[in-house]
Amino acid sequence: MKASSHSSARNSSAVRWAPHVTAVRDDRLHEHFPRTSPLSALINTMDIDKENANPTILNPSDLPSRRTDSSIKKREDGGTGLFDDLIPSYTYLSDPFERPVASSDSEDGYAEDIDEQEVYDLISSISDPEHPLSLGSLAVVNLPDIHILPPTSPQSPISTVLVEITPTVTHCSLATVIGLGVRVRLEQALPPRFRIDVRIKKGTHSTDDAVNKQLGDKERVAAALENSTLMDVIRKMHSTCD
Amino acid sequence: MSDIQRYLLDYDKNKSDAVETARQSAMRLQRGDLKLLKLIEEMGEFFNSEDAQIRAKTMAYLAEVLAAVPQKVLALQQRNVLCDFVLSRIEDSAGLGYCARALAALEERGKWDNDRVKTVVETLLEHTHPLREYKQQSERYPVLRLIDTLMARYRDALRSLHESSPDFLSRFILYFDGEKDPRNLMVVFSILRVPMVEWNVGSDAQLLFDSVFNYFPITFRPPPDDPYGITAQDLKDRLRDCIASTPAFAPYAFPALLDKLDSTSMNTKRDVLHTITASVTAYGPRTMSLYSITLWDSLKFEILNVQEEDLAEEALNGLAAIAKTLSQGTPDQLNTYLKPILKECNEHMEDAPTKQSQASARILQKLASVSADVNNFVLGGVLPQLLRLFQTADTIAKRRGLLEVLVQLIRANVQLYGDWRSVGPAGESSSSNALAQAQDQALNILLGGLQNVPVKEVSFRMVCLDGLLQLVKVRQLLNDDDIVRNIELLNTIVIHEESYGKDEVKAAAVNALVEIAHQKPQAVVDKAFPAFMAQLPDKDGESLAYVPVLEAFAKLANEEKVFETVVLRLKNKFATAVQQEASSRYLVALLSALLFALNTGPGKAEQNAQTALYYHDIALPLLKRVSSMDGSHPKAFNDESTLDLVGRICSVIIRAQPAEVQNELALEMYTLFRGVPQEQLPPFGNNTPAEQTKPMVVSTHLLSSFRRDTALPCEVQLLISTLVDFSQQDSLSRMVRLASLRQISLLMNKYIPTSAVRTCMDPLIKPPIDLFSPEKLDPNRIRVIFACLKALVLRNSPSLPSLYPKLLSLLSNPTHGDAVARGFTTLLQPDDLLTKPNHCQISGLHKQKTFALLVPSITQSFREADSAIKPNYLIALSGILKWMPFEIVVEEVTPLVPLLLQSLDLRGEDLVKEAAISTFTSVIQERPKVVEEHAGSLIARLLDNSTPLSSRPTPSQGGAAAQVVTPPSVRAAALRCLALIPTHFRHEVLLPYRRQVVKRLTGALDDRKREVRSFAVRCRTTWLGMDEVGDDD
Repeated sequence: MKASSHSSARNSSAVRWAPHVTAVRDDRLHEHFPRTSPLSALINTMDIDKENANPTILNPSDLPSRRTDSSIKKREDGGTGLFDDLIPSYTYLSDPFERPVASSDSEDGYAEDIDEQEVYDLISSISDPEHPLSLGSLAVVNLPDIHILPPTSPQSPISTVLVEITPTVTHCSLATVIGLGVRVRLEQALPPRFRIDVRIKKGTHSTDDAVNKQLGDKERVAAALENSTLMDVIRKMHSTCD
Repeated sequence: MSDIQRYLLDYDKNKSDAVETARQSAMRLQRGDLKLLKLIEEMGEFFNSEDAQIRAKTMAYLAEVLAAVPQKVLALQQRNVLCDFVLSRIEDSAGLGYCARALAALEERGKWDNDRVKTVVETLLEHTHPLREYKQQSERYPVLRLIDTLMARYRDALRSLHESSPDFLSRFILYFDGEKDPRNLMVVFSILRVPMVEWNVGSDAQLLFDSVFNYFPITFRPPPDDPYGITAQDLKDRLRDCIASTPAFAPYAFPALLDKLDSTSMNTKRDVLHTITASVTAYGPRTMSLYSITLWDSLKFEILNVQEEDLAEEALNGLAAIAKTLSQGTPDQLNTYLKPILKECNEHMEDAPTKQSQASARILQKLASVSADVNNFVLGGVLPQLLRLFQTADTIAKRRGLLEVLVQLIRANVQLYGDWRSVGPAGESSSSNALAQAQDQALNILLGGLQNVPVKEVSFRMVCLDGLLQLVKVRQLLNDDDIVRNIELLNTIVIHEESYGKDEVKAAAVNALVEIAHQKPQAVVDKAFPAFMAQLPDKDGESLAYVPVLEAFAKLANEEKVFETVVLRLKNKFATAVQQEASSRYLVALLSALLFALNTGPGKAEQNAQTALYYHDIALPLLKRVSSMDGSHPKAFNDESTLDLVGRICSVIIRAQPAEVQNELALEMYTLFRGVPQEQLPPFGNNTPAEQTKPMVVSTHLLSSFRRDTALPCEVQLLISTLVDFSQQDSLSRMVRLASLRQISLLMNKYIPTSAVRTCMDPLIKPPIDLFSPEKLDPNRIRVIFACLKALVLRNSPSLPSLYPKLLSLLSNPTHGDAVARGFTTLLQPDDLLTKPNHCQISGLHKQKTFALLVPSITQSFREADSAIKPNYLIALSGILKWMPFEIVVEEVTPLVPLLLQSLDLRGEDLVKEAAISTFTSVIQERPKVVEEHAGSLIARLLDNSTPLSSRPTPSQGGAAAQVVTPPSVRAAALRCLALIPTHFRHEVLLPYRRQVVKRLTGALDDRKREVRSFAVRCRTTWLGMDEVGDDD
């Protein structure tokens, strides 16, 4: 992109992003992202009119994680390996003169495919723009709402990741921003052979169709990402991802 | 020339000469050579000078002289005259600072009467008001010091001044108005605190308050290398003391502070909260009862909507401080404060679990731990509602949210009333504990929750378990029967419950048992132990069900009160199991549990009074079993790794034994009570059968546990050469060989006296052994070389400078150079036998010394070496760097960078690569400048190692080596290192690479291994997040 067209895209982005938002509520989305206002002012507006100031939060040990997954292989003796460390790892028994038998091939032996849990781990740690809480603990993203769809034809290498997000309240004006944050995160973190589809879960938002339309429109997503204020918000949301 | 003339001449040229002149004048006054009158006369002309500078300097001279005159030289009358004189000079605007100094000096030389003090202060206020008119800090400071001194020594005089003239205080306060210098402010705060605390300030309270609150919040940042050492914290502390000094400030302080609590600056909020807490404590119950609710209404937002964790914490402290202050007042005042709090918390609980129900639990917990009164009030106001909500709650999540509140309340109870072993701050008043009325209900809910709720409700059961543990802990609350019910339930969970998920509940149950054992040891021994022992068979069958039970049982040894019982039961179980011919696997598990118990037990076996008992009951029988031929020798003992375990158990016990015991045992070190002369046994006897060499593993542990003065079974040099010969035998098993080599290290480190250490290697270096001969080199000899060197490195032997060159020359050996290179990692590798507790000699600086002796030579030889053997040097270097503390490496890292970069090109040397990457990881964080100039080659190499197959053709080794796959550990390390670069290098250096890095990392995003992918994601995110300045295309 040439420098001139670049800047014009920037200028128009706020305008292009906002008018598609239909509901009355969503005018506030526009207020939330005036191009000139500094980030701190933006966050302050958010603090004052939190739409759901007291959301239900899930306990970390109840969130789905790979470790609690019952499919994971247990120690065969049923123990926790308490006695495994009794013999320190550096003993006189380690002999550097013998080449390690474990060759790189055996270590690389089985492939661990990208699965729904991995996608969940990538996005559940994103923080909500309103609360200093993760999307996982607010149940905005849920493991059962993440689907990896295999390539549609045997010739195609492209799989699809479908993520359905559940806003904390049905009129949440920030649903679009959350959806965008999830989308950007996945685009940065998944290999290019995945197509990413982020939607609002059916029936959980008063204007889910309109929001989905925005999130699915490549042009509009690209334009939104040129908006530096919006990108700052998304960057802040991502700052809690590790 | 008179002294004053000399002084004036020197004043600007040479200050110290001037001071000396004044000191001389003082001495002449003392001796009587100089009359006071004369001195004054001489100064007279200069005091009348037109030049203000000269008048000021003259006063400086007088002040210096007075400060140097010894006590009692000046009579009262003289001092009075001088005082009047100096006071008369105050009108003159020049030299105020020196006037104050002179007055201070006079005051030091004889106490003033009250009238004098009043006159001084009045004169100052009259002629120099306000003080800020004097622009020089050095002028104002002595005045402030003088007033501070007067305030300290003549309280009554100043107070009567205040009481007799109504406008004095306001004039006094305004006198300091506008002071800005931090040194002066420290004094001003300290002066003003006296009227605040001691005087009846009446209508001047607001003026007085404003005079200090104007400075709030303190934002002062001391300049770098500030000579006065006053920090912002010092100022904050003094200011806070002022604000908290009198309840008269409350009407002004709280509104002003709460106003500032709305600030967007976290530091201001922090200051406000600290000040509120301090004031609340100081103002007393009567004042606080007026403001308690206002404060609650503001402070609660910091907790319900946490901005920063420490602010919430401080707000909680504030709420607790209010409760604490009010509990000193009437019950009514306390109730008025607590009622709205409980009401709001109760409301939040209705929709638990939410952010605010969690915050409510924190508030209640904090308040309930303040005092017995508050505790009872909180429990009375919250528990009925909580239990009612619990009964009607329709989801398990809600029930968990409510129980979390309950657990917090019980925890507060423990904090307040203490546990079974120690009394809490509320004293021995547990009979009045309001929790007693609800204990049955709480106990039943928690027991029921833990027992009856399905195992998959992990977090719910964890809360119940925590609650039960806290309930058991509360001092004198539960009766023994109830405690036993708890223990039995925990037992059932540990032993019988099916495993689920991460088994968090089981692990928590074991830890709870350990904690209960701390409170009620006998109950645990009586009730829990039999249940555990019943699950440990005398002879195991197919089932491995005993493993988790054994692990849990061994953990109980953590608690000192039951440690001995655990060890005893394990020992007996082992003896029975051997008798019943249990499987080797079971015996090993029992021995592991025993070792775990001995290692982690609180008293540790070595400090325990029972150590002699353990020696006779555990160590000796085990050693006899090792060597015996009959049924007492279990089959498991034919395995070297079991013998290693036995050796470790014995070593822990023997280490603490007295010298006689060790000496006696040392004689049997190799025979192990076999009744055979040691000459016929390994390592002495030749061609002993393989079976007989195995006990060498145990001997190694015995040798490691001996003190340095324990007598050996034969002369040390003879023993070393015997072991060298023995360890060269090809027939030895791997473990026996390594054990024998470690004996060589132990002997060289512990038994060679310092006087002989320089020459102890000589017999091995000389023919016939000729250890360093390149022709005779073979893997076993290389092992011996490193075994010896390891012992010498640790004690920083003076022979190292001559030994290391011999060793380095072997690196160029075409056949064995590679093996020698690999040995370098053993030199500094941490070791579990060569340790201080094992009485080894370990010099604090041995790593530095080895680094200094080896690394420069390696760098040098690498440059000159043939390309075929260059890798040997890289391997050797990585072996040394791997264990080197980074502080040592960092100073010398610049010349190493090219070598480390080339290490990343090696094929198949994964450990070397990992070590190099780890060094880079540290260097990038500590000294980014050093590697920044190599950014391009470093980034390219890291990218290369981030995928299984390198994309670059290998320059030296050609096509065949391209098969080598980079293992996941290296890929992960490379990505982690690469991720650090954007935050530590200058961005202008990195911008040319950004696009390429981000693009090539998509490959790593699709790695076969999940762990590598997660590092790739992190790495790519940091590179994407780099400032995009200048990236306009």
